[in-house]
Amino acid sequence: MKKIILTATAIILCVSVINAQKVVCKIKGSDTCLPLSQKLSEKFMKKYAGSSISVTGGGSGVGISALLNSTTDIAQSSRPLSMDEKLKLQEAGKAYKQTIIAYDAISFIVNPANGVNQLTREQLEGIYTGKIKNWKEVGGADMTIVVYSRESSSGTYDFVKEHVLMKKNFASTCMLMPATGAIVQSVSQTKGAIGYVGLAYVEKNVKALKVSYDKGKTYVAPSVANAKNKTYPITRPLYYYYLNSTEKTILPFINFILSAEGQQIVLTEGYVPIK
Amino acid sequence: MKIKFIPMMFFFLLYLGINKMYAQEQPQANGDTISPKIEEVKKSIDLLKTEIDILKKIKFSGYIQGQFQLADRVGTKTYEGGDFSPISDKRFMVRRGRLKLAYMGDLTQYVLQIDVTEKGFALKDAYASFTEPWLKTFGITVGVFNRPFGFEIPYSSSLRESPERARMSQILFPGERDLGAELVIQAPKTVRIWSGFKLEAGLFSGNGINPDFKEIKDFIGHLTYTGSTKNELFKYSAGVSYYNGKVYQGTKYIYSMNTLKDNMTKGFTVDSAATNKGGYAKREYFGADIQLIIATPVIGITQLRGEFIMGQQPAYDNLGSTSTSDATFSKTPPTRDTYIRKFNGAYFYLVQNIGKSKFGIVVKYDWYDPNTDVKGQDVKPTYSYTDGTGTVIPNNKTLLSASDIKYQTLGIGVNYKMTENIKWTVYGAWVVNEKTGITGYGGDLYDNVYTLRMQYKF
Repeated sequence: MKKIILTATAIILCVSVINAQKVVCKIKGSDTCLPLSQKLSEKFMKKYAGSSISVTGGGSGVGISALLNSTTDIAQSSRPLSMDEKLKLQEAGKAYKQTIIAYDAISFIVNPANGVNQLTREQLEGIYTGKIKNWKEVGGADMTIVVYSRESSSGTYDFVKEHVLMKKNFASTCMLMPATGAIVQSVSQTKGAIGYVGLAYVEKNVKALKVSYDKGKTYVAPSVANAKNKTYPITRPLYYYYLNSTEKTILPFINFILSAEGQQIVLTEGYVPIK
Repeated sequence: MKIKFIPMMFFFLLYLGINKMYAQEQPQANGDTISPKIEEVKKSIDLLKTEIDILKKIKFSGYIQGQFQLADRVGTKTYEGGDFSPISDKRFMVRRGRLKLAYMGDLTQYVLQIDVTEKGFALKDAYASFTEPWLKTFGITVGVFNRPFGFEIPYSSSLRESPERARMSQILFPGERDLGAELVIQAPKTVRIWSGFKLEAGLFSGNGINPDFKEIKDFIGHLTYTGSTKNELFKYSAGVSYYNGKVYQGTKYIYSMNTLKDNMTKGFTVDSAATNKGGYAKREYFGADIQLIIATPVIGITQLRGEFIMGQQPAYDNLGSTSTSDATFSKTPPTRDTYIRKFNGAYFYLVQNIGKSKFGIVVKYDWYDPNTDVKGQDVKPTYSYTDGTGTVIPNNKTLLSASDIKYQTLGIGVNYKMTENIKWTVYGAWVVNEKTGITGYGGDLYDNVYTLRMQYKF
């Protein structure tokens, strides 16, 4: 009888351990993180039956707002928290954690028919601030530049403004798009268009430009390898923000992302692993 | 063996069965029956979304601040929530009980806020605002709302780390709000250069939350610039404010500070021209404010705030009250004499959140000098002078009073954000008054106040 009870207990414990990996949560926020989060959650749910992870986009700002008003468990973000957001979380008594899940290279994309293959940071700044209005000014055809950007709630928007435009404001003529997919579609359909997206969104219907941050001495293409070896200059971490109060329930998913298996998925999806 | 195996399998199958009840069910793949149902669900969701979008525009919020206070002595006169009862040095009170209804359109806003406590019911905000849709830069607000002056006036009492605003803010802007209209100019985030600037300027009745009876309106303006460093670890904001208004003169007696007959002592002298009655005394303030916020990984968020205001403040009568705000919170045209004083005041806050914990410390220092023409023992009710015949004439009135005494306050407190809705505050306010020649104010009064407050906010 003792042996039966012990064996039964051991079986129950094993099954319990597997079930403890079950995660039910919502992820909301960055469009840049969206494909990665969807893939990771898909794999996790297949591995641990009973898990349910829903993933939606809307932009980093939208995700962080949702974390503040408790309508999401994880805010995925392509930028760090702003001071106002930190203050709001502090004021709400919400202690939070930040985890870097991957890195991303921001790619500037043009229509495949565009003859321009590379631009310096200064030229990108000129285009996005409205100083450069025609492709001929940067060695291309005589064609008006149609500039696409993300909306101001996007972490990618903030990052490009800080690191490419050096905090200068976007031109008022920029077409603001609510989602990364919309930028890819618009650029693929408009000959004179330029836009910026996370590396994972670069598809065959658009062309990624090489970028120079040393005034044209060297140009580097956006790729996982170049982001990993730090030769591509426009890379940034991708964050998950979550509250201390929910950490216990989502920790198995976080650990999965940071594991070798999770980081392999990061690499496969076109992002840069954290190690 | 068989006998032992059966119970084992029973336990195992029973446990798996229970878990399977909670496992995710996979939908049956049947395109013919699923697609129309999905379409139906989509239509319902779209309809619900439209209705939810309308409802999302209506926002209810509010907070209650219940507190217990202890003063140094019975009947303490204080700016830490109002004077104590003449027979008590301890009290419970609902300091604020706010309920706010807002309707937030895309570029429009309607706000109504009331305050309900054991002291009664009071209107706080009642205003409408809109922003033009073309540049999204120019906006207008009309109604009863916070005066656009400085930082502490519009900063919500539910967020403020000390229980009360600085003495000067309470005296110069009683009730914080006024009745009027203002223009707000602030470029959206995407516009080059200007998005850090914000200008608020308007015309107001100058009587606080009271009917407007004055012919002449007061101008109030505040210009700020806000910025942050690249990594958002340091945020700063600086502003300048200006108030230009008038206070109605209810009688022909206008008292202003001058050198008195002994050619040394400063005090009030009177101008009693008949034309003074029905005229207006100048109310003018100049202000500057600054806020710095620093986020350091281990220490936490540090906030430093400071504001300085100087100017001219008219007050009614000389009843010896320590407040000079009676002239700026009048319901009807007054029938009392007018006293004009030059003043200055300031406050400084240090707010330190302890790492990422729920605790924060606040240290605040403020001063208010209601009459900068006199100091210390020069604040006295009488003086003597020698007339032309060499006779000493004693006991001449300076007309100075408790209204002319400078106060300094040091406050230290701890805040604990227990939950998303509840905040606890423990705070001590140590008040030091100028030692003067006014009876009862020869030394520092026993008027320190200690507060324990619980705030529930939703």
